[in-house]
Amino acid sequence: MSYYDIDSILTDAEKIPCTFQLDIPDLGYLDNNPGQALKSGTKIALPLWLAEMLAIANLGDDIDQDKSFVSFELPAAVGNDVVQALKADPRAVPLRDQSPHFYGLATHMMDLSEEQELGSVLRKTFVTRAAEIALHARKVGGTTGSKGGPAEEASNLGVGGAGEEFLRGLDEWERKLFRKAHDGSKAGKEWMDSVKKR
Amino acid sequence: MTRCATWRPKRKLNLLRSIIRFSPRLSSPVQSQDSAALIRRANIVTPPWLLHPVSLSSIINRETKEDPVAFSPPPPPPSRAIPFRTRHRPALGREQRGCKPRPAVPALLHRRRAGRISTITLARGSRGAARRDDMPAPAGEVRSLMRDLVEVRAAKLRSSTSAFEGFGDGLMSLTGVGAMELAESRGFVLGVVDGVGKIGASAEATRREGEEAGGRRDDDEESDEDMGI
Repeated sequence: MSYYDIDSILTDAEKIPCTFQLDIPDLGYLDNNPGQALKSGTKIALPLWLAEMLAIANLGDDIDQDKSFVSFELPAAVGNDVVQALKADPRAVPLRDQSPHFYGLATHMMDLSEEQELGSVLRKTFVTRAAEIALHARKVGGTTGSKGGPAEEASNLGVGGAGEEFLRGLDEWERKLFRKAHDGSKAGKEWMDSVKKR
Repeated sequence: MTRCATWRPKRKLNLLRSIIRFSPRLSSPVQSQDSAALIRRANIVTPPWLLHPVSLSSIINRETKEDPVAFSPPPPPPSRAIPFRTRHRPALGREQRGCKPRPAVPALLHRRRAGRISTITLARGSRGAARRDDMPAPAGEVRSLMRDLVEVRAAKLRSSTSAFEGFGDGLMSLTGVGAMELAESRGFVLGVVDGVGKIGASAEATRREGEEAGGRRDDDEESDEDMGI
């Protein structure tokens, strides 16, 4: 993954709920309490990159060696409710509403936490939704339309018809997949048309 | 790869005789069997079975009902596909002597080589369906059957990714899949493999860590036992 990968940067900027483990002077403004110390036990949403560093680093104190600055929980996007909904029907959950970088966030959280179940649920979700995405990618742009004409000339990212709701709920990984699948069938169709004209 | 096609010269092609060794004198509109790769200046005639609803329906039936998993078998390899290279075919002698090929009976045409399809023939078929007027069936019917066939095969290729749900099930026979179909689905399938790999990488790392930790503990216990503790 490139250092300048914009999706990776945006995934790192996603906020996750953290609980501070100790009092920190003059940081009260983070909790709408300027001029005061940030109390231990305060819950604040921190960006993933910062939360990761604070959670892994320990205090360097002889007494509190196992204690870190913050402890974090799973964000709502990959919380229990969402996982249960994905188990029931992966296609019915609009992942983009949970997080535009759902899979990026989820895989990152899998690295940090020891959630065993999340991996298998994510894998099943991705594969099931991928089949649906490929179906829509083939349909969009009127590949199945018979007569030709302006309706067939859809843009590369155009959406329409019954699957609009589903396509709106795709996260970034899935959008990329959609684009790849659509480019493939579009190129195939163009080649077929060029054969016909020759 | 060379494929066999029936073609019809657009005009008198004496020059081609140097390339096509076994062909008789070519004058329009004689039909002859030759390698499709050599022929750029001729009209390739769509195989009649490809434009016949009966053979098309039988292929669709086989793809959907008889064997919903595998694809229809591909055309035979070139050595068998080009008749003038096989020595024991009687047609060779006829062609060499300059005889015209046997007349084709329209009623039986759809039986010839039916079922052995490739994407090239599908493309050829759709071109034929677009141009020909003397089709044995209404063009709309043939076109819709052909579209059905293309969609059925594309759906099969897409469904191959559902095997990634479990571990170690990613195998699928691609025998009979055309290069064009493969090219169409390549980006998508690679994208799915990539995504599943990324998701699996962290799960795999966690599992390995757990195994290593477990293994270390076992070693400790064994060494404890060795020492009689």
